[in-house]
Amino acid sequence: MTVKVEVIEGGIPHQKIMIAGLIATIVCLYLSYLNVYTNTAYFSFFGGLAVVAALIWGSHTIKVLCSYGIGTGVPSAGMIAFGSGVIAMLLATKFGNAAPIVALILAAVIGLILGYLANEVLNMKIPVMIQSLTELAVVGALTLMGFAVLITGSFTFTGLTTGSVTLFGMISMPSYQVSFIGGGLVAVAFLLGSIAVQHPFNACLGPGWKQDRMLMLTAECGFLSMIVAAVMSFALISAGAAIISLLIALIGWVYTYCQYIELSKRDAYAWLDAKPIPDVEGH
Amino acid sequence: MTAVAAKPQTGAIFNPTAMVVGIVLLIILLGIGYYVSPTLGLAALIGIVIGGVLIGFGVHFVPVGGAPAAMGQAPGIATGVAMLAAGAGLAGLFGGAWAADQGLLIAVITGGIGGGLMMAITCMMVNFVYVFGMGIPAASGKVLKDPITGDSQPEYKSQGTEGHGLPFVSFVGGVIGGILGGAGGTLIYIELLDLYKATLPTVMNASAAQILPIAVATAGMFAIGLFLVNAVLTAYNITGTIEGPHDPKFKRWPRSVVASAVASALCGLVAILIVLI
Repeated sequence: MTVKVEVIEGGIPHQKIMIAGLIATIVCLYLSYLNVYTNTAYFSFFGGLAVVAALIWGSHTIKVLCSYGIGTGVPSAGMIAFGSGVIAMLLATKFGNAAPIVALILAAVIGLILGYLANEVLNMKIPVMIQSLTELAVVGALTLMGFAVLITGSFTFTGLTTGSVTLFGMISMPSYQVSFIGGGLVAVAFLLGSIAVQHPFNACLGPGWKQDRMLMLTAECGFLSMIVAAVMSFALISAGAAIISLLIALIGWVYTYCQYIELSKRDAYAWLDAKPIPDVEGH
Repeated sequence: MTAVAAKPQTGAIFNPTAMVVGIVLLIILLGIGYYVSPTLGLAALIGIVIGGVLIGFGVHFVPVGGAPAAMGQAPGIATGVAMLAAGAGLAGLFGGAWAADQGLLIAVITGGIGGGLMMAITCMMVNFVYVFGMGIPAASGKVLKDPITGDSQPEYKSQGTEGHGLPFVSFVGGVIGGILGGAGGTLIYIELLDLYKATLPTVMNASAAQILPIAVATAGMFAIGLFLVNAVLTAYNITGTIEGPHDPKFKRWPRSVVASAVASALCGLVAILIVLI
């Protein structure tokens, strides 16, 4: 017995967002494989684009799930998404080139069982619970894989655990500490993603909720996270590749931020362009 | 905010079929664990399941007030279950991780103390803010007398609220919850760390010292993931707010224990497979 608080009025149907998000994420992850063909890291930015696509899908899933009064707050959905996602993603990296597909399947299985536990064992009885937790686990796993690609240029276990340290600018030696997993960057990516996926609905919910505004905020959060991840990628990939990622993230963030402000003004009843407190001379 | 607008009327009903399915699922997952690694893997998996159950059970003790508590209209700490559980558990996990070299028992106790200390400080400062900042006394809305001190509650409760502040029993519950959560989180971490330390050198073909950062980070990430999964599932069990061990919702814990055990076995199995395939 649950009460549905809000209904989706108009906008793009959830199925469409889900399919588009899934395809865009997987395609972007595999496009980063150009890194291997060209033997560079210039295509790492595709990981960041995969992150944005997955987050847009994920935030709309959270909207669908949290429209039912689950009573635990929206952030918990982001936490379980990435909690189950990181587990699937770490195992999937062992499967080499098939990693994104394995992450997708593994996360879906984990999410399905967690959804069953929540809905039946815990007696939540929310119609969309199982589907939503499945989707969220996949979103969590693919987002983390996107961050991994953005930061290291690779999504294989070896690529994520092995880095290199250059001594005195000439001797290069392998190091496990300078890597995505060994250096703990995975923890930063975890929180960057989980906050970015839950914040948009948490910020936009209410009677004035508009789909395009929330999704634009998600894209903005995604690019903002991408900026941070691109800065971190300077440690692990060549400076040129990291600069490309950073530029794309900055351009994307400025564009989506401006768009979001426009949409907020559109949906607001009235707005006042308040100026900073003026400095009065002689006081 | 959905948490205020509508609370699902799940009540303390058990779903026997689902409970049995859950237990069967748990046995199957443990069986797979036994199949892939009869000694090392199964031992780690059982430790992870115990840790997960400790987390799921412990979270029920924590007084979670949610948004109503922020307005002084319900007892408890003014945030969600997931946030509180993550705070207590991660504080405990970090505490226990420092003691990882001194053996399982000391590390788990240290983790429990870390989590309990974090909750004790949080509960004290929350009451400090309630009493001296908002000017409201601590009063439970669910019981007439505090089960520990025997203090009468209704006289202090404002009309139209479900109680406010943090009564003594909630404080004690919070500390117990922190101890259980912290110990559970640390147990998961230590079990995974020992497994990875033993197996990663052969998997990655490197020396034990070289793989240590990988072992620590992977075990830590899996522990955080497992912790959050268990904490959120428990949050779904509580649906919103709980006052502590004296709350009627506390009686729902068997559901959460089954769910946490299955979820931990599932995620733990995945965490073990990373070094075995």
